[in-house]
Amino acid sequence: MKIVIMGCGRVGSTIAARLDAEGHDVTIVDLETQAFRRLPDSFGGERFAGSGVDDRVLIAAGIREADAFIALTQGDNRNLFASQLAKHLFRVETVVTRVYDPLRAELFADLGLRTFSPTRISGDLAYESLFEGD
Amino acid sequence: MYIIIVGAGNVGYGLALELYGNTDYEVLLVERERQRALLLREELGELAVEGDGTEVTFLERIGARRADLVIAVTGDDAHNLVACQVARHYFGIGRTIARVNNPRNERLFQLLGIEATVSAAAAVLAQIEVDLPEQALIPLVKLRASGLEVVDLHVQEDASAAGVALRDLELPERTTISLVISGEGANVPDGDTVLQPGDEIIAIIDQQAEPEMRALVAAPLPPGTEPREPAP
Repeated sequence: MKIVIMGCGRVGSTIAARLDAEGHDVTIVDLETQAFRRLPDSFGGERFAGSGVDDRVLIAAGIREADAFIALTQGDNRNLFASQLAKHLFRVETVVTRVYDPLRAELFADLGLRTFSPTRISGDLAYESLFEGD
Repeated sequence: MYIIIVGAGNVGYGLALELYGNTDYEVLLVERERQRALLLREELGELAVEGDGTEVTFLERIGARRADLVIAVTGDDAHNLVACQVARHYFGIGRTIARVNNPRNERLFQLLGIEATVSAAAAVLAQIEVDLPEQALIPLVKLRASGLEVVDLHVQEDASAAGVALRDLELPERTTISLVISGEGANVPDGDTVLQPGDEIIAIIDQQAEPEMRALVAAPLPPGTEPREPAP
């Protein structure tokens, strides 16, 4: 599967390395080339410096041939914008979007994006851990 | 009518002042950046508020449920798009206007049903074209679905179309000459209409046919700039 990932932070670099190790064709995009230092030496995918909210950058990163797109920058709106570019303009089959704000995550899930909210997930985990021993 | 303006840069600020004077409108100017919001609050009082116009809980607090119109005019297209989508789909606000900073993003806004877009760059470009004196062809409106566009043509001195009846002109395919504006006013032309230098024409043409139409109404190149005959 060809996968374009936007945002090479801790999560982005981790999933990029994992998918690459599994044999997928991975391209990771980040504004800062320094961010690519988070990738392990074994990473065999492509690194692409640029902004994922710019359609020209996405095209250069191979979005037209991609089967999946994952948006993992720190900005909810940037992730939502790039994901909708990928889904509606470039017709990428699978689009996954990180949205910190749980309400926005829900709303855009209703609008057809595969969103997840780390805020909600961490909140649920913390709650479960609290009552684990009971 | 309750209007929420998202983004208090030059555009949002000017717009708020403009609308504020009208008693039919209740206006709220939303600014995300704290320092700017504080300054605005000092100057404008309750007209301005600090907050994120894409955040549901904040919008709830400023009464977005009863808003009639959201205008998103920040310098960030992602922010403007999401503000309009949240307004529309979460709060059911019927009308949204977005500023599109990068003209290439206009397509996405349209695809997502945020139709009323104002592209500053496109507006400025159009203005530049209108102001240039010797323009033979000025694109007015692109009709996206059909690939046609409405253009404003100026028949220049010695143009190949000048002095020729419309029926004798070889026009590109899909061309409709809608209106000929001369000293006598605007007239719907027929095949007998003869174009004169100085006439202005409103036509619907294929977007690909701009160069051909321009060549018909533009003055011929001055001597010396014409391509030279190859030496014998």
